[in-house]
Amino acid sequence: MRANRDRDAVWPSVAAFIVSMLLALVLYTAPSSVGGLPDLTPSLPLIVLYIWAVRRPWFVSPPVILFVGLLQDLISGGVMGVWALAYVAAFAIARPRSDEGAADLGPLTIRFVVLALLAFGFAWGVGSAAIGVPAGAAPLITEAIMTIVVFPVLGWLFARRKERSAMFNSGRGG
Amino acid sequence: MAQRWTGRRQVDDGVRFAPTLTIACLVIAIVLAFLDRPDARIQPLANLRAGFNDLAAPVLELAARPLRGFANTGPWWRNQLALAEENRQLRLQVSELRAWRDVALAGQERNARYREALNLQGPDTGERITAWTVADRSNAFVRSRLVGAGAEAGVRAGFPAVNVYGLVGRIVDVGRSSSRILLLTDLNSRVAVMADRSNARALLLGDNTGQPRLEYLSREPDLVEGDRIVTSGDDNVLPRGLPVGQAFRDSEGRWRVALYSDAAPLDLVWIWPFDAVAVPGAEPDTSAVPELPSGRTVQQEDGVAGASQPATAEGEG
Repeated sequence: MRANRDRDAVWPSVAAFIVSMLLALVLYTAPSSVGGLPDLTPSLPLIVLYIWAVRRPWFVSPPVILFVGLLQDLISGGVMGVWALAYVAAFAIARPRSDEGAADLGPLTIRFVVLALLAFGFAWGVGSAAIGVPAGAAPLITEAIMTIVVFPVLGWLFARRKERSAMFNSGRGG
Repeated sequence: MAQRWTGRRQVDDGVRFAPTLTIACLVIAIVLAFLDRPDARIQPLANLRAGFNDLAAPVLELAARPLRGFANTGPWWRNQLALAEENRQLRLQVSELRAWRDVALAGQERNARYREALNLQGPDTGERITAWTVADRSNAFVRSRLVGAGAEAGVRAGFPAVNVYGLVGRIVDVGRSSSRILLLTDLNSRVAVMADRSNARALLLGDNTGQPRLEYLSREPDLVEGDRIVTSGDDNVLPRGLPVGQAFRDSEGRWRVALYSDAAPLDLVWIWPFDAVAVPGAEPDTSAVPELPSGRTVQQEDGVAGASQPATAEGEG
């Protein structure tokens, strides 16, 4: 009975993860420069992956990270494995191990900045090796800055939600 | 069971990745990055990309539609001013182009007569294929666009893609209903070009910057800043004469090209069907030559082929 309840609680999260990740990938590759605007799209898949890794630490496993990275490589038309490797390596080093402190935006953002810098650093190294010459750093730096700048907005929404759910649980427990 | 499925372990200080699984994922990514070389992509990976693009294109098209509308949004007064200025410029251009149209028609007619007189076999170009950009995630490693037209619309690998102003790139991956354009700025883009004024030949090399380089120029190239650069067709990959951009020197003194296609957004492109001239085989296909009643072939009869023919003539002499 309890196992059934746990399973019921997991599947909405799985569905929400898939939908949010697809949305992030679609928005990431949408032709934002169509109107002659500069391409300043942040790495939304990385942000979503990180938030889910904090929200459900057991949920974002290495194969899932690999799969998301491969999707990003495929959808952007780049060499397969570049972002996949960068994400798996970055999460292996600077992964959020638990959802402790997830309601606090400061530590949440600092941990994300470290993770993002690692991911973009690895991507530059692997990407340069894949194309055979050192890749231009400027586009990656721009994307990394935009990702770090945009994260607190989404992180704040997540922290608020986490805070509310913690308050709700403590009230119910008392 | 749950731990094995997710590949993470619950420990006192939180959740940890299973080391074996992490290493396996890293190895898979490294192997893929090694195999998926842009210059020599293996067929199964190319098919996987094409299939994935076909699946993703309809979804990406849905996301791209509202973004296309953004090009026309903005304050009302700014749009009106911009439209008035554009209208004025277009009127001027139309009046100039009317004269050019007459020149072009006369030139086309004369050109057709010359071609007929010389029996000139030019490359065939069919009807252009219109395609919308559905994804344009260019980054430090790749400069490409995904468009919503594929093999079903007649698109083939190698076809050039142009926009209103000039060449954008060429098709590299073709799916059933989508294809990917490798932009001229991509690191793997190589296009034979020439200066329209002097016919000075060069190779246009993308380097993942906004303006590709001109390389393999002669020692003292007949180029001046502002020269119009067009495709030369020497590479038998793209047709001759497609407008590319204007030549200029960068701060380091290297020749680069400011692309014409940058003057307009790349949301709408045309793909030109272009059949390159077929490379002749090493040996002519003699099976297609009809047999004569005497058993000799037409070529032997005419004395234009066959190793024994000169020897026979020598003997007779």
